[in-house]
Amino acid sequence: MSESLEKLQNRILSDAKHKADETIKDSQAKSQQILEEARRRAQRESEEIIAKANVEAESIRRSILSSKVRVNRLRILDEKNRIVENIIHSVEDRLSSISKSERFEETAQRFVTEAVKAVDTDQPVVRIGFRDVSKRSLDGIARVLPKGGKLVVDEKPIDDLGGVVATDPEGRVVFNNTFKSRLERLDNQLLTLISSTVFGE
Amino acid sequence: MSGIDAVKKIVETEAQARRIVDEASAKAQQIISETREQAERIRQEAIALVLQQREEILRGAKNKAEVEALQSDKETEQILNTYRKLSEERKATAVSKAVELILNA
Repeated sequence: MSESLEKLQNRILSDAKHKADETIKDSQAKSQQILEEARRRAQRESEEIIAKANVEAESIRRSILSSKVRVNRLRILDEKNRIVENIIHSVEDRLSSISKSERFEETAQRFVTEAVKAVDTDQPVVRIGFRDVSKRSLDGIARVLPKGGKLVVDEKPIDDLGGVVATDPEGRVVFNNTFKSRLERLDNQLLTLISSTVFGE
Repeated sequence: MSGIDAVKKIVETEAQARRIVDEASAKAQQIISETREQAERIRQEAIALVLQQREEILRGAKNKAEVEALQSDKETEQILNTYRKLSEERKATAVSKAVELILNA
């Protein structure tokens, strides 16, 4: 009986050790899986972070660059505007001193003719005023007026730069043919002409 | 040996066997627990490393953009100088053409 009891005891202990070994082996295998999974997860997360960083980096680069490009485009536009405005000021100076030019009379007559035609009346009232022009030097202008027309000579240039304004007798129809009005009417053509001449655009 | 002694022996042996199994189970849990900590460390180390790489990528992008921005400034200065030069050379012609347009249009 003692011998079989010992065998039984050994068997019980042997089973327990076997079970213990299995438990440890299982835990080691599970550990291995946990580590592999952790490495895979870390790798995946790292790749995601790097991918996002690359997108963010490109966005930062574009943002810095596009704001710089925008600023520089504005600088270029400002400079072009400055140049064009400077030229327009010179044009205004040249126009306002047209009375010194030998083309003055011909030009003034043409402006009057255009204005009279525009108001389309037999009795136009034409105001004329240029810088440094005396009433006497405008005598020739009266010739281009219709018989019923009236010429009013301003001492000062009309609209600062000078020109002609025609109305019907009631003052209801007005045609402004001053240099300032012509500059405004021809604004687009003027800018195109100056840009193409200076910048070749 | 009496039957009672034999039963006692068996009971003791089973208790010993249970301790062996329990100890193994506790050790297994400890292994898993330590492994989980190690796994978290591996992950955190990897993330810390990759966050450094991220900073380098962003810094690199900023530096690159600043170099490109400087280049844009240089090109803009060249364009501005060209415009100023063209303006000096062509201003008189532009003024004459513009005056003709206003007078004759």
